[in-house]
Amino acid sequence: MFRKTFLGILMLLSIAFILYGGFFRKFLVYDNLEKFDKLKSVGITIKIPGYEEQKDDFQVQSQSFTEPELVNAMTFDGVGKYRDGRLISNYPDLRMLKGRMPCPT
Amino acid sequence: MERIRLKVQLIAVVLFNIGILNLHFICFPVLNCHSCPISVFSCPIGIIGQFAGVGLIPLSVIGVVGLVGLVAGRFLCGWACPFGFLQELLYKVPYVKFNLPSWTRFVKYGVFLGLVVAVPIFFTTASPLYFCRLCPVGTIESAIPWAIIKGSTDILSLSVRLFILFALIISVMGHRRFFCKVICPLGACLSLFNRFAVVFPERSTDCVDCGTCNKVCTMETTQGSQKFGVYDGRAEECISCLECRKKCPTEAIRIWG
Repeated sequence: MFRKTFLGILMLLSIAFILYGGFFRKFLVYDNLEKFDKLKSVGITIKIPGYEEQKDDFQVQSQSFTEPELVNAMTFDGVGKYRDGRLISNYPDLRMLKGRMPCPT
Repeated sequence: MERIRLKVQLIAVVLFNIGILNLHFICFPVLNCHSCPISVFSCPIGIIGQFAGVGLIPLSVIGVVGLVGLVAGRFLCGWACPFGFLQELLYKVPYVKFNLPSWTRFVKYGVFLGLVVAVPIFFTTASPLYFCRLCPVGTIESAIPWAIIKGSTDILSLSVRLFILFALIISVMGHRRFFCKVICPLGACLSLFNRFAVVFPERSTDCVDCGTCNKVCTMETTQGSQKFGVYDGRAEECISCLECRKKCPTEAIRIWG
């Protein structure tokens, strides 16, 4: 009886984790313009629309990621942590993280 | 049953590495490296480590591991894990066979807490001690293929990985499923649920206590130790391979707990 009760509680908890994590949990991930500047300084050009313009035009932006999107980004080490604790893209553009394997050059 | 399991294992190897699909946003609870160029799903251990590195807990991944563990315990280790399958093939190679002391099964919990969780939290995922940087599955499925594809790599890091892989292959040839018993952090997570799992082999009242199940058990560290397989009731290490069921003289092993 104890086993079945414990099993039921843990199963409900697991399903709640999957539902909340899979469908409702959101993370704010910020652009990594430092990385962009570093690449630019060594002569690597980012061929992404919006990045051909002047540096002054850029602003640090953020995008909301669901947990599965973040899981996908983590599979290619796409997200890191900035000094102030916020999540930051390890790639110059946030668009590189969503749904595909990025190629920065 | 052995033939069915072999077929399932072969299908799983292909399914997890079919390459035409990229479903890396889904974690499937077997040890199959997502850095592999043709992998389909993401590895839960890699994701837990990466999330730990940025100070987060991947709730959906923990939920999936928990749910699979609660339904079938370490069933996937025995039936679907590509690396488990490779270990079973390697054990068939004629080599000096050896036993292990029973305490070695606790090492994998230390590996999970230390190399998968603590190292990324206190250092970073770039640390050479981080589990994914040493993982033999990652070496086979990711480090070697990428070194071939890219043509250049960190020689020192690859050498360390190859040395670990070589040592592991020797160990696996000498002791059946050495990695699963001693090192696998995912096995450590799933084994916690074995005592509560819904589908789990157990001895029924027809058992005559002959001990045959114990002698043929894949997960016994020492032959006849009576600690890890179906003989010990709901033992943490049981991977539901059903070798015991096949050999049981009275057909006393049932699958539903």
